[in-house]
Amino acid sequence: MTMKIYKPCGKIDHALGRRQFMGEFLMGTGMVVGSSLFSHPLGATEVAARGKSVVVVYLNGGISQFESWDPKTDLETGGPFKSIKTTVPGIHVSELIPHTAKMMHRMALIRSISTDLDDHGLANNIVRSGRQTRSPTEYPELGAVVAKGLERPEFPLPGHITTMVGGVGGRANNAAYLGPSYASVAVGAEKGGIVNTQLPDGISVAVDNRRHDWRRFVNNRHRSRVQTAEIDAYTQCYEQALRLMERRELFDISKESESTQEAYGKSEFGKQMLLARRLVEQEVPFIEVQHSGWDFHHNNFEFHLHYVADFDRPFAYFLSDLDQRGLLERTLVIVMTEFGRTPKINAGYGRDHYPNAWSIALAGCGIQHGAVIGKTDTKGIEVTDRKVDHRHLFHTYLRAVGIDSAGEFEIAGKKFPIADPAYGPIQELLA
Amino acid sequence: MMVQATSTDIRPLCKLNPQAASVTSDWAHDSKLLCCRVDPSGKYVVSGAIDYTIQRWEVATGNKTLLMGHDNWVRALGFSPDGTKLYSGAYDGRIIVWDILNEKPQPQQTVQAHQGWLRSLAVSHDGKRLATCGNDKLIKVWSTVDGKQIGELTGHPNVVYALQFVPGTYEIVSGDIVGNIFHWRSDDGAQIRKLDAADMHSNIGDIAPFGGIIHLAFSLDGQRLIASGLHKVSNAQAGNRRAVATSFDWKTGQKLIKQESLRKELDATMWRSFFHPDGTMIGIIEKEIGFWHSGIEDAFHLFATPEHIFDCDLHPNQMDLYTAHFDGHIRCVRIGSTS
Repeated sequence: MTMKIYKPCGKIDHALGRRQFMGEFLMGTGMVVGSSLFSHPLGATEVAARGKSVVVVYLNGGISQFESWDPKTDLETGGPFKSIKTTVPGIHVSELIPHTAKMMHRMALIRSISTDLDDHGLANNIVRSGRQTRSPTEYPELGAVVAKGLERPEFPLPGHITTMVGGVGGRANNAAYLGPSYASVAVGAEKGGIVNTQLPDGISVAVDNRRHDWRRFVNNRHRSRVQTAEIDAYTQCYEQALRLMERRELFDISKESESTQEAYGKSEFGKQMLLARRLVEQEVPFIEVQHSGWDFHHNNFEFHLHYVADFDRPFAYFLSDLDQRGLLERTLVIVMTEFGRTPKINAGYGRDHYPNAWSIALAGCGIQHGAVIGKTDTKGIEVTDRKVDHRHLFHTYLRAVGIDSAGEFEIAGKKFPIADPAYGPIQELLA
Repeated sequence: MMVQATSTDIRPLCKLNPQAASVTSDWAHDSKLLCCRVDPSGKYVVSGAIDYTIQRWEVATGNKTLLMGHDNWVRALGFSPDGTKLYSGAYDGRIIVWDILNEKPQPQQTVQAHQGWLRSLAVSHDGKRLATCGNDKLIKVWSTVDGKQIGELTGHPNVVYALQFVPGTYEIVSGDIVGNIFHWRSDDGAQIRKLDAADMHSNIGDIAPFGGIIHLAFSLDGQRLIASGLHKVSNAQAGNRRAVATSFDWKTGQKLIKQESLRKELDATMWRSFFHPDGTMIGIIEKEIGFWHSGIEDAFHLFATPEHIFDCDLHPNQMDLYTAHFDGHIRCVRIGSTS
């Protein structure tokens, strides 16, 4: 197979000052930031990477690799779906993703992932954190690490956003020692932008400003006596909410033309992907789009017919749209899941959890386009070439957007390796 | 104008005795089976598998002959009334016509009938028409004389799972994955009426429907239509649901009764149900064969088999029920005796 060499990410140098975390969020509040838990200046590599984005499309529950990236046509383990050609000679994918197949020249596949946890929660932890951990809070997830690694001081939006149906701005607990300001903020792709972000009837902007002035005054007085990271984070949440309110139109997909909305599709997933593109345009460092329900222990093939169709067109259009707007050059797109599905078809015509041999897809910034890493045996039971796991993947994602995964975060005087130091990236996949 | 279903002159030839049921034959194929039918003479049983083959089993000996021609899972089978032709349909979207009585049956005709999976087929009472349905939401009507398409019925909003000819007519009844049952006039494609079985389906979010009308059958007097499938879904991905058959008065369209297994709760789909000539309803629900008295909600008996059943058919002797299993076996379950 011919490997197309992709040019390195766009040379975007925002030449921003090296402001500290709290300084960013407290700017304009008149507050003086004291010592902070989160106070490590970024290195030169990270500075060069600014303006980049990572978009994770998380297929929650475990998409079947057979019905997507690693089809085994005409074998019993392969199920009833055929494989189709893609735009890259020699690469075939499931017939269920005809639109995505046409974007393969901007993508790469990893078909040789082997992990060892088949529980949803535990597997989620490891693929999101890149660590062999059983705790969901021991290590920061990829989104938090990217938000920290690609952080820009004057950036007005959260650096780690999850789009989901009904998302109204809540923070998750997924940033571990990096602190809550790097945790994900959930937003929905609702008409009119984020819900509940308009002032109630009867409260004018002037009145609202006076309320915030009073809050800041009281907070400052309290903070002059007590300083904790929790108080800082609490204060920061208010300020960030105000910034989101000011920019609520960024989240309003109805601002897009009708033809663009049609192209993404009117499904919930299509709306989330369109919102993701709007956020990439704003250079939000990390955006996760969730697509849930992929845990087909029963009726796997029927459900994949509908689920993969729901994924395929909006996802392919998203890649195409980024490409045409010149955004794919600075955006890494990852189709992530927590494990694969069993080669064995069970009596309910379902597939069960299978961490032994599974696949993911990537696209865009920092990777070799048209590459396939590793392979499985004829029936898809074992990895036969270039076995990798979640730790290699984590290094690879970070390196693709220019974050030195071998580096460390220094938090309150303590050093934390950014990724598992015993592992490294999939070097041959990097551009 | 609605044509009344005609009565049949099929009378009970055997006395059902489900409590004494037993497996009397057990033949193994090396791939999972999805469907089976018994030929009108009772000499052969045919089954369809996910290895793309059809198996013809000689009832007297259990000898197997393989029929190869499809390029995907074989999902639907039907005989001409005289038993000389077998029609098969598969997930390759094709219909194949077989000279089934030959020593080594060969494809006589192959038609690319549907875009995507073909789900079900039915042969008219006189053998002159064949109807098929599939994932393309279409029902197609074919002439068995020259193999040409003579009609296309459009209107189902989603995958069409099941269909039958209304007894004694060319009218068709069809059911889809979201619980619509449509009554059609196949000559001009007009939809005559709709029966509602929406409670036999559910959705995962707004993405995937689950359930629907898996199989349709008429009572032998043509007065009742029975739709098989599932309901009471608590977790679709895990397969937590209950098997059910819903009966309708064919003349009025009124929903009559739901029949399910109440005393023994099973995560199951009713893959097929039909009426035995003595009036008993028989349904397959995963590993079990259920028996229901007419008009009674709960099964009066469940017969357990060793593996999951995905289709069944009654031998013309009316006392042997052939079942197609997930483990690749065709089993004959004797459910009665000569009266």
